[in-house]
Amino acid sequence: MTRILALAVSALMAVAAPSAMAADGKALVESNKCGSCHKMVGPSAQTIAEVMKRKAPDLFYAGSKFNKDWLVKYIQSPTTLRAGGVVYLNSISLNGEADVVKDPPKCASKLSAGDAAAVADYLMTLKDASMKTGVFKPGKVKKARARVVMMKDEACNACHVFPGKGGGISCPTFEGIGERLNPDWMYSFIQDPKHWDPKVWMAKRDFDDATLQLMVNFLMTAD
Amino acid sequence: MIMTRLASILFFAILAVGFLGQADVAVAKEKAADNYSLYCVQCHGSKGTGRGINAPALSVQPRNHTSAKDMSSLTDESVFKSIKEGGVAVGKSTQMPPWGGILTDEEVTDLVKHLRGMCKCEGKK
Repeated sequence: MTRILALAVSALMAVAAPSAMAADGKALVESNKCGSCHKMVGPSAQTIAEVMKRKAPDLFYAGSKFNKDWLVKYIQSPTTLRAGGVVYLNSISLNGEADVVKDPPKCASKLSAGDAAAVADYLMTLKDASMKTGVFKPGKVKKARARVVMMKDEACNACHVFPGKGGGISCPTFEGIGERLNPDWMYSFIQDPKHWDPKVWMAKRDFDDATLQLMVNFLMTAD
Repeated sequence: MIMTRLASILFFAILAVGFLGQADVAVAKEKAADNYSLYCVQCHGSKGTGRGINAPALSVQPRNHTSAKDMSSLTDESVFKSIKEGGVAVGKSTQMPPWGGILTDEEVTDLVKHLRGMCKCEGKK
């Protein structure tokens, strides 16, 4: 009888654990004042004036955008993903006639492994319900073809750094992007960046599914 | 008396319309400047001379929008087309992206006017 009771209690705890952890994560997000830099509630900035006030990426759809394992690591020890800053216009200064980037502010988060896991659990609950999931089809990575599309035809490297190849710095680096981002989100963002950020400084192209799959498959292996 | 009243109403109405029109123009110009800052400066630079933070990574130097010589060699139509459809649409680099999916035609038209202000020049006829 005692054994059955213990089993029942364990089973109940297992079921309750995710929501308890999510609640802890939410409390940690609040106590660490993540919302002072990140938007934790949508919508994204609707005007350029609002964009200029952005201090850090929007997190109200973090659960759609990020991979949880990466979040857990990043929250413990943030690195620079946008060499030009979150809003590059706020990080540039003139050196003669040329713009240069002055040190963009870094995320101050330095949580313990346990707290980072709880925060990541909470962030993963923040989703955009309208995003289609299961869209990305993992396949053979055609690196040469993808490089032609992304570096020659579309010149994504004008604004993004390609691992080992360099690139522009006004947008996030592609280094480690496969570990960082949910491939379904990548697909959705490339397809319609305005859906996620109405004032995003990335052009919207009309890519077909095959091209989107080619690019996302390539990005998933970019490290 | 009535005529005087009507005349003064008409006078203020004309003034009001004038101010509204001016306000519209001012807003439109500021919007183009803001759009230029957010979308164009990353490559063309805050001075518009083609030396934005992405320029060192580009194989083709972004156009110097302050150069009257360069900019006056382009028609307004080709500038509009290159902003809306990208450099490829006017036989130039793919590194100039197509902003038509982000900016409205009206915003692109305003940007063309803004560029003409930067180069202090007119488009090729």
